[in-house]
Amino acid sequence: MDNPIKTLQDKKSYLDLRKQERVTLLEILDRALEKGVVISGDIVISVADVGLVYLGLKVLLSSVETMERLRGAPFSGAAEEPT
Amino acid sequence: MKIYAYGVIDSNEKIDETMRGLNDAPLFNISYRDIGIVVSDLNAQIQKEDKKFVLKHEEVVEKLMDKFTVLPMRYLTLFSGKEQVLLMTKDYYDDFIENLDRLREKIEFGVKTIWPGDLIRERITTAHRKSDNLPLVASSSGKSFMNEKFENYKIDKEFEEEADRCIAIVDGFFSKFTSEKRLEKLKTDNLLLSASYLVDKEKKDDFKKAFEELRGSGGDLKYLLSGPWPPYNFIVLTKPNAKKFGSLDMVDSVFQRKDRT
Repeated sequence: MDNPIKTLQDKKSYLDLRKQERVTLLEILDRALEKGVVISGDIVISVADVGLVYLGLKVLLSSVETMERLRGAPFSGAAEEPT
Repeated sequence: MKIYAYGVIDSNEKIDETMRGLNDAPLFNISYRDIGIVVSDLNAQIQKEDKKFVLKHEEVVEKLMDKFTVLPMRYLTLFSGKEQVLLMTKDYYDDFIENLDRLREKIEFGVKTIWPGDLIRERITTAHRKSDNLPLVASSSGKSFMNEKFENYKIDKEFEEEADRCIAIVDGFFSKFTSEKRLEKLKTDNLLLSASYLVDKEKKDDFKKAFEELRGSGGDLKYLLSGPWPPYNFIVLTKPNAKKFGSLDMVDSVFQRKDRT
């Protein structure tokens, strides 16, 4: 039978990892889709796509805060260095 | 077949041939004078929804960052051939050189600060309602409308001032380690600050330490650090967009809907 504490810890680690992955992906999108060298104004991305990125980030930060409240711990926040 | 561009580097040498780009295509450097554009061939269409392409773009740029000074191209920058890449590079050469020199040995960090903006706005609103308790006399609807507008203006102003005060505190933790910064205030009510800092590579650890100090300083604010990144937010091109290169045959974008692929 599984040790329930170990299972909870595993779940917490998994959630932390997923959180960091999502944060890292959103930070990448924030830069690679909106910033960098732009050669022409006609290329690459529409305004709507950028809007979706920020919508995603807003939802993500909101859900992270909710998750942290439920856990009763402060939002540690530091994302891993991107790979 | 198109050519996908990842970034501009401060080298005209051949790059590591084992490095791979989108769809596992080999990378190569199209050199012009003392700089180069790192590219790969692209035969297939790309689905913008697929995060693996964005991650691969970023992976290539970060590998380049380890060896060179790099100006990352925006995701999905495509050219129709090598000649077009060379024409573009020639035209932007001075801009690229200026940016490569300014960004040499520099990295970017992102700091996001979240505050309980909705609660702060509510607190300010409640305080105003109490202090501006208007006499209960009948007033014209026009006057009520103006009063309400003025009240909202004062609340917004106080909210912004509170935000500025908090941003100055947060920013103060990092200013001595940064050479440039980009601060965006209140993208949403709760996202107080989205900041990008340009940092000397040798001060990377100092910057991280400053972040830890900030995070340990207590209070209701929450913080998110990301990086080190290539300097996406600090590339400044003075040249206007390249419409004079002609049509999208030269510089193109390949966002493809799933139902077309």
